[in-house]
Amino acid sequence: MAFEPKEPQKELKYDETRIYSDAELNNYTEEELKNFKIKHETPDLDELEKGPWPSFVADAKQGALHRRKLADDRMLIERDVIEDMLGQLQLSFDEGETHWKHGGIVGVFGYGGGVIGRYSDLPEKYPSIAHFHTVRVNQPGSKFYDSHFLRTVCDMWEYRGSGLMNLHGSTGDLVLLGTTTEQLEPIFFELTHEMQVDIGGSGSNLRTPSCCIGKARCEWSCFDTQALSYELTQYYQDELHRPAFPYKFKFKFDGCPNGCVASIARSDMSFIGTWRDDIRIDQEAVKAYIAGEVVPNGGAHKGRDWGKFDIQKEVLDLCPTKCMWMEDGELKIDNAECTRCMHCINVMPKALRPGTDTGVTILCGAKAPILEGAQMATMIVPFMKAEAPYDNIKEFIEKVWEWWMEEGKNRERLGELIQRQTLPKFLEVMELPAAPQMVKEPRSNPYILWKEEDVPGGWNRDIKEYRARHKR
Amino acid sequence: MEDLRKAIVEFAESSKKTKFYFKDIEKAVQKVIPDAKMREIKKACTSLINDGTMIYFSTGSSTMYGLKGRGMTEDPE
Repeated sequence: MAFEPKEPQKELKYDETRIYSDAELNNYTEEELKNFKIKHETPDLDELEKGPWPSFVADAKQGALHRRKLADDRMLIERDVIEDMLGQLQLSFDEGETHWKHGGIVGVFGYGGGVIGRYSDLPEKYPSIAHFHTVRVNQPGSKFYDSHFLRTVCDMWEYRGSGLMNLHGSTGDLVLLGTTTEQLEPIFFELTHEMQVDIGGSGSNLRTPSCCIGKARCEWSCFDTQALSYELTQYYQDELHRPAFPYKFKFKFDGCPNGCVASIARSDMSFIGTWRDDIRIDQEAVKAYIAGEVVPNGGAHKGRDWGKFDIQKEVLDLCPTKCMWMEDGELKIDNAECTRCMHCINVMPKALRPGTDTGVTILCGAKAPILEGAQMATMIVPFMKAEAPYDNIKEFIEKVWEWWMEEGKNRERLGELIQRQTLPKFLEVMELPAAPQMVKEPRSNPYILWKEEDVPGGWNRDIKEYRARHKR
Repeated sequence: MEDLRKAIVEFAESSKKTKFYFKDIEKAVQKVIPDAKMREIKKACTSLINDGTMIYFSTGSSTMYGLKGRGMTEDPE
């Protein structure tokens, strides 16, 4: 289905938006770069350039030289901003502690997120980074850009910021690093009015939703990840920009259980595409794989000779639930036992495809460590259809939010609240039945806590009598 | 709306603290107006932000509200 934007979109033309000429963008030679020294001594940072991997230090030095050679009126914040940033970083290596101060009241009018204040605590020594605020820009779905957009953002950021960017932050935004307070509103205006992008989420907000490449390029995608991400981004604008949550809240959308955005590990509410009918099998293609006529894994590992493809060893024996077998030369699957690990589909993409009755599995409670350590999401809704206008999904989301906003403590993530109040409590509030797939390991986190009204006939239990025989 | 706005400002002015989590504002308002709904309190907070009475304070990971000019400066803590 063609993309239908909520507002008319105008095509961005770099020739109309550009700030710098080609000569200004390519204003130094390789020789000059080789001999370039920033104004601070940075021995440890220089070491970082010597490793086998591309170094951010080398990139930053290129930016610093580029700024040195721009004319005074071609940038609106200090010329030395990158040099001072590197100088302060070297000092932090020397002293083993940071010199950044985070947070504050900086932001753009009406928005409670998207801008993160940052200041140097050594402004006399590094005056160009006295202010070094971050702006998060909401990335387009699946991070599809064209060069007109990227070059326009880069020019704007060179002009109004440090030119340093991080594509992309963990949540998925474009992260623009280092500008001053007075540049924030003009940057916001240009992003929203010229480039037609919004700033992203930060603080106690819904964070910028993020999705895999989805149906745009991937035949395994079981729902339109971009459409759902876009719809929820638009529908929950208030939650994205006006913070009232106990803490951050992240949505991520994976089109299939391969999980290319790792939503299961990185989002409070993870949507993973799945199917509830059978894996589609093309038996002729299975035979072609067995006969060596088709390269397994879509050719992904063909850099060395792995020997003849062995379906028993490479597929059937590796199935985690052992639900596949060969019978009379045909591949059979007991679909009821399939856990959607995707291994067989990944190895034989021409022969096996996800089913056609597709939707999402919803998992809740993942987070990266701050308070209580890393936690993976727990499967809560095994299957739900994911079709516009997604009212069923919105209803689930709002039920979760209502509980979390009521019961969650300040700075408590959904996963921590579920841990604190228990999974059975969460399921009770969500009005969902418990399922075996919610158990992490049998006998280590049993979740069945029977209530008397759930048991026919109830029970007679004298807790005092019990405690007389069983000390706490 | 006006009574919610008033309750929020009164709470913020009377507190020793200068920055408040939304949840703390919600609890304080519901003490004065027991049937106040969370959504309505949020709308009142937003209108106080929009007219400049209150401002957001963000650490980057969590956000708080405060009265403009009362202990809230541009600098972080």
